[in-house]
Amino acid sequence: MSAACGMVWARLAGLLMAGGLVFAGLFMGAPAGAQWVAPASATAALPGDSERLALIQRRGSLVVGVKTDYPLFGGLNAQGEPEGLEHDLAADLARRLGVRLTRVSVTSANRLQRLEEGSVDVVIATLGDTAERRRIATLIEPHYYASGVTLFVRPDSPVREWSDLRGQTVCATQGAYFNREMARRYLLDLQIYNLPRDARLAVRDGRCAGYLFDHTAIAADLRQPEWAGYRAPLPVVLNAPWAIAISRKERGSAFDRWLGDTVADWHRSGFLLERERAWGLPASRFLKDTRELWSRQQADGTPMCLRGIDGQWPAACRNPAFVSSAEVSGLMQWGLRLRETTGIDLSIVYDPEDRRAFGSGLMMTLGLTLACIAGSLLVGLAGAMLREARWSLVRAFAAFSNVLGRMTPPLLQIYLLLFGIGALLAEYGLRLSPFWVAVACLSFYTGAGVMSALREAALVHRQTDPDYRIHPRRLASIVPLASGAVVAALINVAKATMMASAVAVPELLSVTTTIMAERGNVGVMMNIVLVLFLLLIMALVRLLGLIEQRLVRGAPRRKSVV
Amino acid sequence: MNLPEHQTLTESLIETLTWLPFLLEGFGLNLLISALAMLMGTLCGAVLAQARLSRPPTLRRAGHLLTELTRNVPTFVFLYYLAFMLPTEIRLPGGGEIWLIPGWVKAALALSIAVTGFCADNLSLALAAWREGDHGRALLIIPSWAGYGLIIVMASSTASVVGVPELLSRCNTVIAATGNTGMMLPVYALACAIFVLTCWPLIQVMDHLKRRMMDRYLRYPLATARGGRP
Repeated sequence: MSAACGMVWARLAGLLMAGGLVFAGLFMGAPAGAQWVAPASATAALPGDSERLALIQRRGSLVVGVKTDYPLFGGLNAQGEPEGLEHDLAADLARRLGVRLTRVSVTSANRLQRLEEGSVDVVIATLGDTAERRRIATLIEPHYYASGVTLFVRPDSPVREWSDLRGQTVCATQGAYFNREMARRYLLDLQIYNLPRDARLAVRDGRCAGYLFDHTAIAADLRQPEWAGYRAPLPVVLNAPWAIAISRKERGSAFDRWLGDTVADWHRSGFLLERERAWGLPASRFLKDTRELWSRQQADGTPMCLRGIDGQWPAACRNPAFVSSAEVSGLMQWGLRLRETTGIDLSIVYDPEDRRAFGSGLMMTLGLTLACIAGSLLVGLAGAMLREARWSLVRAFAAFSNVLGRMTPPLLQIYLLLFGIGALLAEYGLRLSPFWVAVACLSFYTGAGVMSALREAALVHRQTDPDYRIHPRRLASIVPLASGAVVAALINVAKATMMASAVAVPELLSVTTTIMAERGNVGVMMNIVLVLFLLLIMALVRLLGLIEQRLVRGAPRRKSVV
Repeated sequence: MNLPEHQTLTESLIETLTWLPFLLEGFGLNLLISALAMLMGTLCGAVLAQARLSRPPTLRRAGHLLTELTRNVPTFVFLYYLAFMLPTEIRLPGGGEIWLIPGWVKAALALSIAVTGFCADNLSLALAAWREGDHGRALLIIPSWAGYGLIIVMASSTASVVGVPELLSRCNTVIAATGNTGMMLPVYALACAIFVLTCWPLIQVMDHLKRRMMDRYLRYPLATARGGRP
């Protein structure tokens, strides 16, 4: 078969050169030299129960609808020849089938119509997968690419994360479907221009932090000499998956399955990633993640993503946006049914990845809370002891630390230590862990309060015993007097642990903002996280109250006044 | 942008000081946020305190429940909640007039929930004392309330995480604009100094006032203020 394929190619290349058959309105020839070595295992076992597949093999050519107005995916080069990533995919399909490739130029307006009337076999034309389109055509899973949104910025832009842009002015163009959604998910202040050109000039003149647009279009802009040095440093978000389309009548046919298997193979072999690089597109997370997912193996070594008896891919391998509750079971079914019936998008229930991230965020928050409580008690006790030390210098240091701890916002302390001091330490090759920096600063801040409470309690003792000193061995005498204020301080530190999210510690709040930025379920996630934190704090109040009661049993409880 | 790789500390300090007016302007926003939060929180807290001291048991229970809630909501999470859930503009019904809700107002709203909890707890004690005729004890709420206001000023720096251009957020802007990592320490240290130098003397005054009032009005000693921080 590969010999036959090679012959076809040679014949075609010859034809091209001899006849000068270049872009001629609708019909085009295959690009010369566009051959890659990729496993073609699927071609060996082609079931023949597809009318279309039979037709393709009878006529000896595959007719693919591709674009010529979308640079890098389907555009024209300087010589006016059609080329692009999708043209490469079309060529590989023909190669695998061992037939000639005939390319037909389609547009966004007519691509599905061409399929319906049967004048093309396959459409690979930047077609985003939607439920509506699935009704008029068969869209192949898995998806071969996903377009998303990114930010075009000046060469000197300091922006590194989407969250850096909260509250900032960002340029956008009128009518883009993602404008509203991006403003909602990332709290952007959008400045809307009529034309992409105006928006790009606004970026150049520093009127906004960057230009928000489709990443495939930005990738094309960045290749223009005019924008040399300009960058798109942010990860592509709001990914809209692109699907290869065939006729509605071919749903579930051998052709449908063969195309799906081929796209899966493109992901597994790294072919798509390699083509993305070759066309100078920014590395998309979609391709990286999909390759990782489709390369996963089960315990017995077989791939995880294998078609079931019904010919469907397992739900775990599919984009959950296109999975219905009828196709799955368990938690996933429950979560999807909720989404279908009420519109409540609980992705942390039905999506295994979100579920895992949310769970680990919760554990991280619990760990932070425990560490901060222990840290505050330690700092408070140590501070109180130092404050009563024999040496006046030590006493002054403790007093100064107390004022500094109480009078600077903990968030500022975190930045000062992690970035300010961290930059100095970095010169000696030391790196601070954001988790422990957050624990240290929150403990310092709350420890100051604990220290004051312990000292006030000691003051009471000193009325009867002037030599009374705070000491770990004499804790029992001080706990009943100080416990109320100490517990209040510890609850306060538990209410502040989520500040660690500001320095990218993956705790509950930070995981939540990531999930809702990705899924768009802002309302659901915000409600969940608020209630969850409220419950956590209330449970802690209960728990600390119980512990306090245990410790001070018998001792008279002081009523808190003002 | 064309700064040398390594600036001396003095050069960094001098450059930091040139940004002082810009940073102080941000601190003004911190004060504004705190003032609005204190105003709204005190009003809501007063309503809750009244409810808790009222006669109908349902109203009283509702007052206690709401106080419990406001005491336990972490304001940092609530700040995110409001930033993402409140619209940035509201159209008044009928008139079609559009009101913008700037980020700093959302931040003030978020912080006001902590103030509400604090005031509900302490005002109900003060009101009870006042009704018993113990006016001096009731007036003790004033220094505590002012002290709490300073805690809110510090908490207002959390508004930086949702992009409100207050002091901390402006520190980050300055560091990003100069593109010089050596600036981080002096800029953040300057912000610390602004907070300490503003809040510390005021706290001292409040503590002094409180002690004077306690000595004067109280018949027995009492514990330190207990109230949830933001």
